[in-house]
Amino acid sequence: MSQQIPLTWFLYFAAASFAIGLMGVLMRRNAIGVLMAIEIMLNAANINFIAFWRYGDVPQGEGPLTGVMMALFVITIAAAEVAVGVGLILLCYRRWRVADVDEFDTLSG
Amino acid sequence: MIQALFIALSAFGLLMALGTVFARNLVNAALFLVAFFFVVACQFVLLEAEFMAAIQVLIYIGAVAVLLMFGIMLTRNIQGDETTIVSRQWRLLGVGVAGSVLIVLFLGINGFKPWTDLGVRPEFPVTAETTTERGQAIIAMTPTVGREMMTRYVVPFELAGLLLTAALVGAVVLAQYDNTDEKTASAEPPQVS
Amino acid sequence: MGSGLIIKDFLIFSPVIILTVWGLASLLLDLTILAGQESSARNRSLGLFTLLGLVGSLILCQYLAFDVIGPAPGKDARIFFGTLNGGLLYSQFASLVLLFAILVCCLSMVWSFTTHWGEYYAMLVWSALSMIVLVASEDLLTLFLSLETMTICLYLMTAMEKTKRRSAEAGLKYFVYGSVSSALFLFGLSLVYGQTGSTSIESIGRILSTTEKPGLSGNVAGGVAVLLIMVGFGFKISAVPFHQWAPDAYEGAPAPVAAWLASGSKLASLVAMVKVMGGALGSWAVTTSPTSPGWVGLLALISAATMTYGNFTALSQTNLKRLLAYSSISHAGYMLVGVIAVGISERREEAAAALFFYLVIYGLTTISGFALAAWIDRDRGSENVDDLNGLGRRHPYIGVAVCVLMLSMIGIPPTAGFFGKLYMFMEALNVGGADRVTMIGLVALGLFNSVVSAFYYIRILKAIFLRDSDKGDLRSMGPEIALPLFVGSVLTIFFGFRPATLLEDMEHISMSGLTFAQKADPDKSPNAAAVITPVILPIKPIANQQPAVSTPAQAKPAGN
Repeated sequence: MSQQIPLTWFLYFAAASFAIGLMGVLMRRNAIGVLMAIEIMLNAANINFIAFWRYGDVPQGEGPLTGVMMALFVITIAAAEVAVGVGLILLCYRRWRVADVDEFDTLSG
Repeated sequence: MIQALFIALSAFGLLMALGTVFARNLVNAALFLVAFFFVVACQFVLLEAEFMAAIQVLIYIGAVAVLLMFGIMLTRNIQGDETTIVSRQWRLLGVGVAGSVLIVLFLGINGFKPWTDLGVRPEFPVTAETTTERGQAIIAMTPTVGREMMTRYVVPFELAGLLLTAALVGAVVLAQYDNTDEKTASAEPPQVS
Repeated sequence: MGSGLIIKDFLIFSPVIILTVWGLASLLLDLTILAGQESSARNRSLGLFTLLGLVGSLILCQYLAFDVIGPAPGKDARIFFGTLNGGLLYSQFASLVLLFAILVCCLSMVWSFTTHWGEYYAMLVWSALSMIVLVASEDLLTLFLSLETMTICLYLMTAMEKTKRRSAEAGLKYFVYGSVSSALFLFGLSLVYGQTGSTSIESIGRILSTTEKPGLSGNVAGGVAVLLIMVGFGFKISAVPFHQWAPDAYEGAPAPVAAWLASGSKLASLVAMVKVMGGALGSWAVTTSPTSPGWVGLLALISAATMTYGNFTALSQTNLKRLLAYSSISHAGYMLVGVIAVGISERREEAAAALFFYLVIYGLTTISGFALAAWIDRDRGSENVDDLNGLGRRHPYIGVAVCVLMLSMIGIPPTAGFFGKLYMFMEALNVGGADRVTMIGLVALGLFNSVVSAFYYIRILKAIFLRDSDKGDLRSMGPEIALPLFVGSVLTIFFGFRPATLLEDMEHISMSGLTFAQKADPDKSPNAAAVITPVILPIKPIANQQPAVSTPAQAKPAGN
């Protein structure tokens, strides 16, 4: 009965989440579904950052919170991206009643 | 004991992620996503970054998931529930690609010695008398984050503010209801090139 | 590298700060003073206002470049705790980005493709400033953040022509592909962070080049990281097979936005790619042994595929914007040859300078090409190559300008495009070692593809000069279109006759701004000496110790 979780366990969880997110991106047709899968992938990367921050060495000249700050800014970027994505999807829905990524075929050739 | 807790939590989290990807009803998928976000927040607590767990819940669940839910509700009746997943070939491709990525990542994680050697995290447990910078940061994370934001990370901080402004302004512009909406939607036939 | 925030850093950063405020001012102007005015009148006022801000920032950047308040243009020109470059790389590339933005701003004033002008010009200015920060960033966090800001502003600009379905479709397609590639890129970054513990590009390069075994031997996680990072960058510069979004986005977006996508975002992304792949991941570049492949091989494949696919698909295009999109894809393929050369050549700074030269010329000619498309689009509503028929007869000067541009894109002397290809391919051939064969193959393929590209560029010239038009004449050009078109062609001729001036400029920039990691050298014994010396060095200095090896060793006992 150990009191410690090895680093690799966190990495396995993040890798599995990343793979599931990737699967979602390839399999979802609705744009919002793809957006949700992208969020899963971004969260997997965040877990990576925090786990590496907690378990790794801090090289010379680095700050004490590198991984945490990176994850924080990734959360910010994800929020902005979702806002823009939902805005774009609403635009496409409201005017042309389409939300399916496959149905956009006016620009082909 | 904590290992058993971690395993249970991770299994639950992966199930929620699978639910997000495979749920036919988009609202259910969004709810699975909320549960996944919460599991990630619990992982952050296990990694002694409670500040990040709070931020995760506040922003991801409190803002991002709510926004996604609004998006789903506002675009609801255009698509039947059975068309949210693609055809069989794409499904096979998706599983195949994801499976191979997973296997390669597992091999990579296993093969990198500095990672597999880290069975015990450094500076554990962190007490108030710790001398390293990182230990002090873990004890008092919020003030440290504030200080870092205003010194080392001031440019990313301001740039993130700009990013949020741009996203806000742009999303409003795109999604707003112009009074020309009705006319253009019916008058203009879709362009075919 | 700075123990606190100093005022000088903010002064050096002032163009970016001014641009931020200018964008906000543009939004406010649209809401207050100009509210209620007609769309094209607002377009003109806001366009001129934005032009004022861009020109002012450009002048400020040039002022900084001449070392008045900035740090000396040496390798230590860092500001803000080393996360940003404050020297020539920053100021000169900022000037370049601003020049492109000025030309695109002129193009935007041509016709009213949207009603939201305050927001449009704000996005233009903010995307320009995030490109500047992207070019200057020395830290992965700043790099990723500015990359995302730039692309989000570009998604929004692409979809702003709300009356056309193709614009919204282009924006959504761009968004979906872009977000997926950002997520993949970020995961790659997290793996690199895990291997090094640092997000500073210089530290990563240093740490990765001092590992025990050279290169990527057995490091599957590292290999995955490099792959994912390449996917992310490959999307941004529209390399095959990550190019799917580009033709649709370029065709659907309004012509000025397409010009901005093709020039500004490619410029910034390629410079970032050079920094990360050449600097941070440089020691993983070369294939040192069969068990440790470098990323050169994969990037060479991508480059070959991009060049060939872009050119051959462009041959069958009838829409001018789509043709320019595929031409832009093929140019990205050529430029990837330059990136590989930077990764593995002995003369890295010169290789980077040649690549930057090509980038400048490519950006200018592409904007001019889209200016032509904008002119046709304004009056006819569509931009097929057939719409260009008979142009040469009625507007001979414009015909000559377009002729110069097309010759430059093919790479025919004495235009600057020829010298760009010449320098870049020569630097590629300067590579020694095992990858020489790959580089020779790539250069040969590049030359072959240039010949193929002549067919579709000449087709444009044929339409202009040799065909008669059945439609009415276009309205006169106006300064907004004429400026980008003629600036592009004049500079192409000028740099064609005096390429050395631009090349020297680029060499100064790359020498001052780019830090490259030491290459993994399988012959050099691994730096076990650096590990042992902390014990020996304080007691007994070794006379023939190389200074580069002793510095990290000296830092270690101080740090412990």
